[in-house]
Amino acid sequence: MANMYRLLFRTVYTARRSSVSVCERTVFPAKCDKASVFRVANGGGVKALSTSSVRLCEKKDNVVPSTNADDMADQTESPPLSTQKAEDDGKVDNMATRVEKPVVLQRDDGGTIKQQMDVKIEQIIAKPKKVKTDGVKSGKESLLDLLGTMKVDVTNKRKLTNLKPQQNYYTTPKSEQAEVATVEASSKKSETLDPELVSAASAAASTLPNRSQAESALLMKLRQHEAIAEAQKKGNMNNLGEIIADMKVTKLNRRQNTGTYNQIQFDEDGRGYKQGAGGFQISFLREKRLDIFSPTTGEDEVDFAVARPTLWDMDYANWLSNSINLMPRNGLEEMIQWTKEGKMWQYPINNEIGLEEEASVPFHEHIFLDKHLKEGFPSQGPVRHFMELVVAGLSRNPYLTVQQKREHISWFRDYFQQKEDVLKEADVYLN
Amino acid sequence: MPETVSLVLEEVSEEALKERITLRKVKASVDMYDQLLQAGTAVSIETTHNLLDLICLYCDREPVEGGGPQTEDTEPGEGAKKRKIRFQQSLVSPKCTWEENNNAERLFNVLPERDTRCYSALIRGMAKHGAYEKAFSMYTGLLNERLKADIHIFNALIISAPNVREKYTERWELINELLTHMKEQEVRPNLLTFNNVLQALKRCGTVAKSKSLQTLYEMKALGIAPSLTTYSYILEIFSRTAGVVQTTSNMLPEIMSELSGKSFTCQGPNDGAFFINTMKMCLESIDLEQGYKIQSLLECGENWRLLGASFHQGIYYGTFFRLLCEREHIDVVLKWYKKLIPTHFYPNSQGLGKLLQALDAGNRLDLLPQIWQDIRTLHHEDKSHLVEELLSLMTRDKHSPEVQESFAACALDVKGVFEIVAHGPPLEWSPSSLKNITSLLLRANKTQQAWEVLQLFKSKNRIPPNQLLDDFLSACHSSGSAERALDLVRLSAAFDLPATAELAKRTLAEFQLTEEQRAILSDLVSVTEFSD
Repeated sequence: MANMYRLLFRTVYTARRSSVSVCERTVFPAKCDKASVFRVANGGGVKALSTSSVRLCEKKDNVVPSTNADDMADQTESPPLSTQKAEDDGKVDNMATRVEKPVVLQRDDGGTIKQQMDVKIEQIIAKPKKVKTDGVKSGKESLLDLLGTMKVDVTNKRKLTNLKPQQNYYTTPKSEQAEVATVEASSKKSETLDPELVSAASAAASTLPNRSQAESALLMKLRQHEAIAEAQKKGNMNNLGEIIADMKVTKLNRRQNTGTYNQIQFDEDGRGYKQGAGGFQISFLREKRLDIFSPTTGEDEVDFAVARPTLWDMDYANWLSNSINLMPRNGLEEMIQWTKEGKMWQYPINNEIGLEEEASVPFHEHIFLDKHLKEGFPSQGPVRHFMELVVAGLSRNPYLTVQQKREHISWFRDYFQQKEDVLKEADVYLN
Repeated sequence: MPETVSLVLEEVSEEALKERITLRKVKASVDMYDQLLQAGTAVSIETTHNLLDLICLYCDREPVEGGGPQTEDTEPGEGAKKRKIRFQQSLVSPKCTWEENNNAERLFNVLPERDTRCYSALIRGMAKHGAYEKAFSMYTGLLNERLKADIHIFNALIISAPNVREKYTERWELINELLTHMKEQEVRPNLLTFNNVLQALKRCGTVAKSKSLQTLYEMKALGIAPSLTTYSYILEIFSRTAGVVQTTSNMLPEIMSELSGKSFTCQGPNDGAFFINTMKMCLESIDLEQGYKIQSLLECGENWRLLGASFHQGIYYGTFFRLLCEREHIDVVLKWYKKLIPTHFYPNSQGLGKLLQALDAGNRLDLLPQIWQDIRTLHHEDKSHLVEELLSLMTRDKHSPEVQESFAACALDVKGVFEIVAHGPPLEWSPSSLKNITSLLLRANKTQQAWEVLQLFKSKNRIPPNQLLDDFLSACHSSGSAERALDLVRLSAAFDLPATAELAKRTLAEFQLTEEQRAILSDLVSVTEFSD
């Protein structure tokens, strides 16, 4: 039993922990997925090994909005709820505070509260199939629901009067002396039930007598809750402070809780491994970082493109290329590599490969190059003869582009103009 | 650079200097530079930078064929070997040590004005070749001259930080300080910076754990995608502090799911080591699921290229295969066996030993002769432990006749191996191997060959066990050769075995013998009995 409790504690607190990051959820308290309900001996020594969720349950008895409860769950890290060494009276008081006001905790007569406690006493096993999940799906939030379970209590709180007649029904299965923790799945809120909790619940419930009865009672309650859920969906959040203020925390449980909390949660680096559902989660932007650099836009990247590769870069690139395997795995890959390098023809064979540009140049521009000789050259004489030969040669050259041929001719033009003095001396340069 | 390229420009000019630098002739370029200085010619700053880069990269020595600077004991042939294991070397493994007052420093001190690039060349060279303290003092000099360092300086200093401080916390503080300087000088970090931080953190003890994660988040916040090397370093750090099993179960799945399906390009020389390290982790914690994930990541896209040379492929696949043999069903193991061998790697003898165990566990001992053929193909038949294990597995239980036949054939083959002198001294016959081979042959009714092996006992000075002799006698009985039985008894008498008497009696009882044979046997009986 103790192990079971510990298990529940642990799961509860892991859920807790994960739920911390969820700041606001309008999860309906009425539809707690899981509630740890501790059987409280009626009026007797209530040795509730109450978990936080229990506390929550109790508190939420009278708190209408689920959000309240959830916020409570969120804000109260160490469950003030948790420790109930709840005397009956203590509980009663708390209950009392919550009973009256749907919105604000009030002190009330203990009677109703007591009965509510009884209500809670139900060993109700939440079966996964009973879970009518509405609301958030994530595991975190389902666990949060667990913490914020107030299923039974919510209904009670709202409809104290309504529930009273039911309470008798619910109180019947009390086999008083046994303290059993059950985990309820709140019907509405989350779609996923933590399997651990479910199994824990069933394990816990298995020790219960009157199991079937409790079960049916719970089902009825859940259906009720569902009905109420719509109305209560907009929870109001204003009671939270009062609720928290009213929470009693006994030292023993707090220590116990935080102890387990620390064991699971924190590593020395504060990031912690979450055992169970969470695992190692790299939620990057929210985690602690070195905080030395600040994210900027990419304006600094420009420099790198400008700098020429230095010897270091070439050496590094060489090292990289040595360390990876660029070899082809088979003949086909080898052929692909060769084709890319140009060592192999590209299939299907295209005779004009590489000559696409030239296709658009008309042939007469290659052949009839006389027009370039019209200016810049003497029209008679050895120079002219020479240039005509040059043009004849160029026109028969299939390897040069038109531009290259023109450049040849213009080179000659410049050359002969530079040497004009020499040519004039030799009486060769005739215009 | 091939050695045959000779210099074209001989005159003292900057062009000649540039040529020498391009050809990576360290000494020649230094000489040319000195000559230019003496002649009073100014050398452009660009060329000076390149010259300094050259000298610092090669640690003032000539580059070898393999691409690195010449060490004291290197020869040309070693270049190839060095290339092979280059994978393991980090960026700063000093192949040669930075000498005091070498040319780089000398030239540096002579320079009229030094800018960041000069410092950068020097610091990088010092960090690469082991002069870590000097690198840091040079950095201080740079700060004193109110210059700004560049990213390469910081990268080099970060990686050298663990070498200049002793205590873990001091190391981290130094790294932190460098990063802060980076921020102040407005130098943006890049992937290599953070990888160097993590690599340095590996040597920072317990501090490393939290800081490594913080570094990772910093990278993500700055938009720098972590590479495989990053994850590899983080996993290493966590393995050291938190233990391999825990890391494998906690961190590795997360990282694998983050990386799954992505195709990587090589961003660092040690990217492929990620696969090897993670597979080793999986083997240690015997996590088959993660092993499969790593394998699928490897097969994704071109990631397999990152593994590099066949050497590393062998390590990776060998580890993977061992993991499979540990846990997987024998059929799956065999499927992977066919797939991986020999296309991807050649298993070593440990891997084959593991395979034999897996066959045993999966009750597929009938495949042993085929595996023996593979062993021969892979040239592992000279590993005595492998052969012993194979034989003992075959001999241990009795199997169906066909299987026994195949085992006997295999045993003959093994016997043949024992006599090969091809690669050095032949295998040593151990008593168990002799016994096993004999038993196998007997079981398959190859009595003649078994007899030959039995002779070997004598020649190799080994004692045949009693059980074997009994079996042999039974085999002789079933084949009805009394002569052989007699020889057997004589053999055991030659060994002076105490069981001789028993054997003799059995022979007398079970066999039909001639008078002569009976006489011999009775003599043997009495001899041995009296000698007791």
